[in-house]
Amino acid sequence: MTFTRRLILSLAAATVLSASSYAAVAQELPRNVRLVIGSKSTGGDTYQNSAIVAEALAEKLGINVKVDAVGATEAFKALDRDSRGTTLMIFHDQSYLGNLYGVQGYSNPFEGYKVGPTVAINPGNAYLVPKTSKYQSMDDIFAAAKAGEKVRVAIQPGGVSEIGFSAMKNAAKVLSPGSEANIVAVNTGSQSDKNQTMWDDLSDVINGSIQANEQFTQLPEDDRKAMRFVWITARPATLQQAPAQGMGNTTRDQMLKFADPETKVPLNDSENFTFDKEFFFLYNQDMDDAIVAQIDTALSEIYAAGEIQKRQKEAFFIPNFLPSAEAQAHLLAKRSTYEQVIKDITSN
Amino acid sequence: MPFFEFITPLFLLLIIGGTFVGIIFGAIPGMTATMAVAVCLPLTYPLGLNNGLALLLGLYVGGISGGLVPAILLNIPGTPSSITTTFDGYPMTQRGEGEKALKIGICASLAGGIISLIALYLFAPALADFAIRFSYVEKFLIILFALSVMGALSANLLIGIFSGFLGIFISLIGTYDISSGGNGKHRLIPPGLEYWLDSGFSLLPVLIGIFGLSAILQEAENGMPLGLSRDKVRIGKSSKFSFSVFKGQALNVLRSSGIGTFVGILPGVGGSAASILAYTNAKTFSKNPENFGKGEPAGIIASESGNNGLTGGALVPLLSLGIPGDSTTALLIGAFTLQGIQVGPLFIGNNPDTWNAMIFAMLIANVAMFIMMFYAIRYVALIVTIPKHILFPIILMMCVIGAYTINYGIMFDVWTLLIFGLFGWLALKIRLEIAPFIIGFILGPSAEVYFVKSLESFGDLTIFFTKSWIAVLLWVLILGSIAGSVFINRRASQAE
Repeated sequence: MTFTRRLILSLAAATVLSASSYAAVAQELPRNVRLVIGSKSTGGDTYQNSAIVAEALAEKLGINVKVDAVGATEAFKALDRDSRGTTLMIFHDQSYLGNLYGVQGYSNPFEGYKVGPTVAINPGNAYLVPKTSKYQSMDDIFAAAKAGEKVRVAIQPGGVSEIGFSAMKNAAKVLSPGSEANIVAVNTGSQSDKNQTMWDDLSDVINGSIQANEQFTQLPEDDRKAMRFVWITARPATLQQAPAQGMGNTTRDQMLKFADPETKVPLNDSENFTFDKEFFFLYNQDMDDAIVAQIDTALSEIYAAGEIQKRQKEAFFIPNFLPSAEAQAHLLAKRSTYEQVIKDITSN
Repeated sequence: MPFFEFITPLFLLLIIGGTFVGIIFGAIPGMTATMAVAVCLPLTYPLGLNNGLALLLGLYVGGISGGLVPAILLNIPGTPSSITTTFDGYPMTQRGEGEKALKIGICASLAGGIISLIALYLFAPALADFAIRFSYVEKFLIILFALSVMGALSANLLIGIFSGFLGIFISLIGTYDISSGGNGKHRLIPPGLEYWLDSGFSLLPVLIGIFGLSAILQEAENGMPLGLSRDKVRIGKSSKFSFSVFKGQALNVLRSSGIGTFVGILPGVGGSAASILAYTNAKTFSKNPENFGKGEPAGIIASESGNNGLTGGALVPLLSLGIPGDSTTALLIGAFTLQGIQVGPLFIGNNPDTWNAMIFAMLIANVAMFIMMFYAIRYVALIVTIPKHILFPIILMMCVIGAYTINYGIMFDVWTLLIFGLFGWLALKIRLEIAPFIIGFILGPSAEVYFVKSLESFGDLTIFFTKSWIAVLLWVLILGSIAGSVFINRRASQAE
């Protein structure tokens, strides 16, 4: 075989064409996308929310999106391995709180990954006391801590559950320096474990959620399982978007009584602490910006159509789409507030 | 009449279809009821709550029941809670009584499912109130009770106990998970392996490696025999199934179903503990404990009524407290949330229609499971007549697929399967006891969490003896179980 000029030119043209077509493909999401999530549960809020978003995205872009509940550590590993856009991730504030609390397997997502758009909020993060508790409100709890009484708070350490506890300690410090030592953590695991610590009188306050604990607040006082909300951490603006009927027998207006500004957990002298559990995309750091833009655009159109909001609200999520750039700025600001809270309570 | 409004042809079809698919999932090594429910969960959204639950509950009952098929025919537990079914089921298959063993298991499954369903229907709120009396201390003692049977399941007491502790040790490799209340730190991981072992060894790949792959390696070493002849598998007059096998087993069925239901209502204790406790209780109270592990029908009855007893039990805390009793019922919460329904202490009162639909769906699923499996099982049993040079590669492929998919696509799980397949093969050579090893591996993480949390919460070791009357009762059972193990072991030694 002789290499004629024509053959060499043909080969070169073919190479350029296939390279350019590859480049074109690389700039959009592939046909099959794996959406890993930071939770191992397929019954929890991360999975439900991700499934809703995945379905909408798949329909919009005409691709297949499969949600895999692999858990945070494996999800970050999967994301590390793939910059082509075949693997995307959805998780919530735990992704950076785990890093702030020094949990193994959590690096700083703002440095190691691209932070994508936010999609929804779970406004349910809450703190509860037994219905027969002498603590009627957060003010009572801070007053008890000031008076030297130990207040035991059941949490799952290292993330979303702990940030409210850190905020309580910080508030106690703001209100009465030194009293924060009397707000003590009872480290537990699942919601079931947290409830059980209350029933075993091992904790005075537990971290819970509106979704998981609301029915316990409806039980009569003489029922050992009965509880009462003392604090819902969501921003009032977030809770205002919840359906007016609220959840179960607790209306939105009743929920608002346990949230800022009616229930005060001071962040500093001028502001109250709030926490919304927000779900957002995470990408491999080297993923093409064109794919980031493609997802942003697709989600903008999906949210503009308005259908996804209905499904999210049915599952008690608050729709909260912010494109990547805005989401990054918003989440970074949030992270820096919480970093300061954690720093303040660990410093003397 | 409102009670029957939810019963539509679609409702019934979804239960039956779900049960069928669940049986298939349960029967494939490495696939579980949890996986079946997870796969079908997104499909339930357009179905509505009652129809969605019909599908999921069918999958749940079918998935738990289907696990007995590979356990009996192939010595591979289809689900972790079928481990004890292998102990007597597989020896019966080796004797050519596979079909009989399967039918015993199916009948026991039906009994366990129905008894637990009755308990669920009549006593759910009361049982839930009782369940919350079990703090970390009592839960640890239940796990200890289950662990105390390690000796009873061993040919050699000391080697059995050593194997059990080895299982516990290996189960603790990884991260002390924050979701269990741990500190999120690594422990027991050899240097350089943190990337692979930070989540430890996953249960199901370990199980199918030790039971499935090691058996294939063993057979390969011995040389591949031809499959059992069709006549030998199917019947032989003396081994034909008859309901008379249940004569004298009423107490065993009731006790095992009760244990399954009871363990089910305790969140976090786990389904495997149910069948282990049911099996060893049956052995301890049996007039012929030495026959257990050699193809004793009472062993299959205990194991299967125990693990199906779990199905109703695990729904008790879910529907009365909003807390799932096991990993599969945890997924059912997703189905409720997708439909905007809360589960908690008011669920049954607020949603009588859904409650009735669930009970009815469970009942139909149990009956459908029985009919489908009982009458089709003679054909399924023929699997062991397939020549092993064809069967084993297929099993191996299913094991690998199962291991890879169990945690939604983690390649290290396939390596776990291979590592523990090799370990299981070597263990037989150095005469380690596999059953106590597996029991230790399954129960080790729960034992650790409950032990540590008990000490963190109550301060010192005396709490294990003084916490409550339940703790005292559990100690009596533990000591009885240990004494029983020693007695059985001595009698077996003397018989030899």
